[in-house]
Amino acid sequence: MNITPNTTNYMIAGYAVFFGVIVIYLVSLYSRWSRLQRDMRSLEEMNQDKPK
Amino acid sequence: MTKKPLLLLILDILCLVLVAVAAYLALVYAPMEVTMGNVQRVFYFHVANAWVGMLGFIAAGVAGIAYLRTHDVKWDIVEEAAVEISLVFFLIAIVLGSIWARPVWNTWWTWEPRLTTAAITEMIYLAYFMLRGGIEDPGRRARFSAVYTLVGSISVPITFMAIRFFRTIHPVVIGTQSAAAQGGFNMTPHMKVAFFFSLLAFTVVFIDLFWHRIRLGHLSNQVEDLKQKVME
Amino acid sequence: MAERAVTTKKSGNFIQAVLAIAWKDLAAELRSRELISAMLVFAMLVILIFNFALKLDARTRMTATSGILWVTFTFAGTLGLNRSMAVEKDRGCLDGLLLAPVDRASIYFGKLLSNLAFMVIMEVIVLPLYSLLYNINLFIPGLLLVILLGSLGYIGIGTLLAAMAVQTRTRDVMLPILLFPVVIPVVVAAVEASSGLLQGLEWSEISYWINILLAYDVIFIAIAFMVFDYVVEE
Repeated sequence: MNITPNTTNYMIAGYAVFFGVIVIYLVSLYSRWSRLQRDMRSLEEMNQDKPK
Repeated sequence: MTKKPLLLLILDILCLVLVAVAAYLALVYAPMEVTMGNVQRVFYFHVANAWVGMLGFIAAGVAGIAYLRTHDVKWDIVEEAAVEISLVFFLIAIVLGSIWARPVWNTWWTWEPRLTTAAITEMIYLAYFMLRGGIEDPGRRARFSAVYTLVGSISVPITFMAIRFFRTIHPVVIGTQSAAAQGGFNMTPHMKVAFFFSLLAFTVVFIDLFWHRIRLGHLSNQVEDLKQKVME
Repeated sequence: MAERAVTTKKSGNFIQAVLAIAWKDLAAELRSRELISAMLVFAMLVILIFNFALKLDARTRMTATSGILWVTFTFAGTLGLNRSMAVEKDRGCLDGLLLAPVDRASIYFGKLLSNLAFMVIMEVIVLPLYSLLYNINLFIPGLLLVILLGSLGYIGIGTLLAAMAVQTRTRDVMLPILLFPVVIPVVVAAVEASSGLLQGLEWSEISYWINILLAYDVIFIAIAFMVFDYVVEE
């Protein structure tokens, strides 16, 4: 008789990896975006202050 | 430029909904597979993520050729975005494939043609980013990246065919059966729903993340340009 | 009539340029013999290391030979490619070549020829040495064809990538990183074809691999020739 093996742990691991990596990537995108926004703002200020 | 377009916001929300539904279909709606148990549910996201990796791969190849023909920097931005997304999603697909392999074949890695080719593609992507990191001049960086993308796009399909033939001659034997023989299963109608919905959901995810990453690339270029201007 | 004369003259110039560029490298190498000796010594050291690393008995040696040879050629080939391009850059020869009124593609083919010559010379010396050391006859005509086709594919794409790598910050390290993942079809096909020939398999089993080598060579030399301009322009 074939008993279906309990592989639920692996399933959880799989979905955890998926959500984990996606979250890390989204955080990376967001932090890069905010850093660039900050840089943009300070550069624009410096550009204003620059003697023409 | 820096304000998020409404369409993108709608797309973001749509993605969240679609992925949630796809997860529900894969985890609850689809029946449990009899020979492998619940780990088979990983398969729906494994294939869908590999699919996104493929979309990114093709997009990168097209963008590379487009850059070489037009020298328009927007294609360089598109190409880098495509490679990055493909890198992330192939990574997930490979790890999920490995997690699936472990209980089914009692091994973490099977040297199966698709998995192996995906791993090689990841190496090409890493080489791509190292190449970009090693070039200061933006024009040269864009040109070299495009050339390498073109080379990679042609090399990967050939690699896949070579490995596939290699595997028919030298099958990986795990336990008493070849790896190809085990781990197969037939999909019931409910499973097919989960499977195709995942593909659909992740196609939308690809479009969404691609758009976001391209915007990031444009902003990055703007900052660089402004930096040059201010430093003069 | 005049047009035809001009085109023949242009193609004549092209071939002349290719041969001149190839000869420049070969002549320089004939004088100094730096590159070939470095590649040779390196190849012999790799084979030596394999001898201790793999502990092969007589039977497994037969099946492993083809793999060991190609790993050796791949690594030594990288050495040759790096040096060949670095020399161009360091001595400013590349700039000089770019100023000359020749098609950029001729630079590619010229370098391809000289790089290929260096690699084949190295292989031609390694083969009999390996034969002697391991008492395996490697002088099968098909094998030499496979080595030539494999080297051609390797050098074909390697010349293009070396031209890029030498212009990056990390130079020497960059080439293997760029080259190895994309040259895998050549390695797989060459090892399988070599191994098949050494074991005396049927031609029909080996021909698939030869076809892959041929296809790869044609495709990638064509690509490299078309994009070489983008890689050396200033």
